[in-house]
Amino acid sequence: MSGLFTKTLRDQRRALIGWGIGLAAVAAMYAAFYPSIKDSASDFDTYLQNLPDAIRNIIGGDFTTPAGYLRSETFSSLGPILFLVFAVGAGARAIAGEEEDGTLDLLLSTPIRRRQLLIDKIGAMVVTATALAAVLFVTLWIVGPPFDLTVPAIDLGAACLMLLLVGLAFGAIALAIGCATGHRGLALGVTGAYAVFSFVINALAPSVDALGWLRPLSPFRWYLDPDPLVSGIAWANVLVLLGIAAAGYVVAWLTFDRRDLAA
Amino acid sequence: MGTPDCVISADRLTKFYGHDRGIEDLTFSVGAGEVFGFLGPNGAGKTTTIRTMLDFIRPTSGAVRLFGLDAHHRGPEIHARVGYLPGELSLYERLTGERYLRDFAAFRGGVDFAYAQDLAVRLGLDLAKRIKDLSHGNKQKVGLVQAFMHRPDLLIMDEPTQGLDPLVQQTFYGILDEERERGTTVFLSSHVMPEVERVCDRVGIIREGRLATVSDIGDLKARVRRRIELHFDGPAPRAAFEGLSGVRDVRTHGDELSLAIEGSVDPVIKEAARHTVVNVETHEPSLEDLFLAYFGPNGEAPHDRGDAP
Repeated sequence: MSGLFTKTLRDQRRALIGWGIGLAAVAAMYAAFYPSIKDSASDFDTYLQNLPDAIRNIIGGDFTTPAGYLRSETFSSLGPILFLVFAVGAGARAIAGEEEDGTLDLLLSTPIRRRQLLIDKIGAMVVTATALAAVLFVTLWIVGPPFDLTVPAIDLGAACLMLLLVGLAFGAIALAIGCATGHRGLALGVTGAYAVFSFVINALAPSVDALGWLRPLSPFRWYLDPDPLVSGIAWANVLVLLGIAAAGYVVAWLTFDRRDLAA
Repeated sequence: MGTPDCVISADRLTKFYGHDRGIEDLTFSVGAGEVFGFLGPNGAGKTTTIRTMLDFIRPTSGAVRLFGLDAHHRGPEIHARVGYLPGELSLYERLTGERYLRDFAAFRGGVDFAYAQDLAVRLGLDLAKRIKDLSHGNKQKVGLVQAFMHRPDLLIMDEPTQGLDPLVQQTFYGILDEERERGTTVFLSSHVMPEVERVCDRVGIIREGRLATVSDIGDLKARVRRRIELHFDGPAPRAAFEGLSGVRDVRTHGDELSLAIEGSVDPVIKEAARHTVVNVETHEPSLEDLFLAYFGPNGEAPHDRGDAP
């Protein structure tokens, strides 16, 4: 890590504080809704039972337990959406954004190597995303119990870790596309489209046999199945998501190191 | 190529973008302590050459060495000794000038920041302001301080005076003169003749991606024609000027006389002194005048019009 790592973090500190506050507020709000949802849970479950499997998979199953509620409301919907917007944006911006802004030339006119630049940028992405995951964990851990939303800290931590990893995986894909092409918009667009595809495939595949073979291609497949809120960390899933992130970083390095930079 | 005191040496440096020509077959060298001007119209390949020297882009064939080191393989070692000012400067707009410069000083290491602050004072740059609130000329000053502050052995500057007001240009030339006295090597691109005349020892002229010629600044000055207009208090004495050495194309219009001169203007001044001159105007030679001087009206390369005044 060099001065560039520190600079990248410092430049992002305001945005990061904003994201942290937003994420904490949303998580706290959902926690506050839990008592009223739980009270009407039987109605809700009846309603859910009448929906097609595919839709139920997207919404999530069980609202009556704290783990089920957290899974459906926080970790299946808004959580990944917020995390992906943050991580994919950071990945696309890290290199391609600087290149399009024209600030990359001067950075690389210093003794900083391209490889070092990439390491510093990846370091900053990992640290900021980890900070957001930690904010989510702490918020739910503190705000949950007063609303009866209590899950073991270890399971809550496992879910936050998986959310972090899925964010890093998509962030690395955006970084790789940005590094290979130098186009930030392309990196955002392609990664965004892949994320939507992944989300839908993962939701539909369990009930649509024809889509089953596609499901492993979705990073979400390796996110909440088995459910970390119930059974803690599934190490195989951790490895797959880390593998996707690592592959993205390697592609980013190989392409960025060889390419002509746009003027 | 590549003698020990040779700071830049390009050997058949070629860059194509797909089928589009960037630069072709550039071979030149710049010695230690030399101020080398790289002159050519926009789009001739000046920026492409510079970006290859800094390893932002990789040559299609040929190579360029700085301090005897390959530009691609030894980038960081080279960059530690280079100060660079890009042609199109993009800074981190949300930072203050000071924050920006301190960051870059940290990336380089071992920068005496007092010198950076001194440069800022001399250029009249307010370091406390955010970069987005600075005028184009003031942003350019941040770029200049950034290029000079670590006292590099080689300065690579792409059109450095673009957007600077004339007073600041003079300050810039002053700093450049100090650097020259320190023995700094300078590679400076430009599309305007007077700048190159003012600062350079030697000039390479690039045209449509090819190096047309490299010559001493003295030779360049001797060959290029400049136009002088004299306004007399009576009918212009045309005949007195027509025979003078170096004078071409004398035209008169009432009290006004206009002529083109190659080389020294001395004979014209001496002759003019014998008459009563109300006003004198001289016109700086344009790139087109220069190309005309070197290649004649039917220069062997097809013409591309420079955008010089």
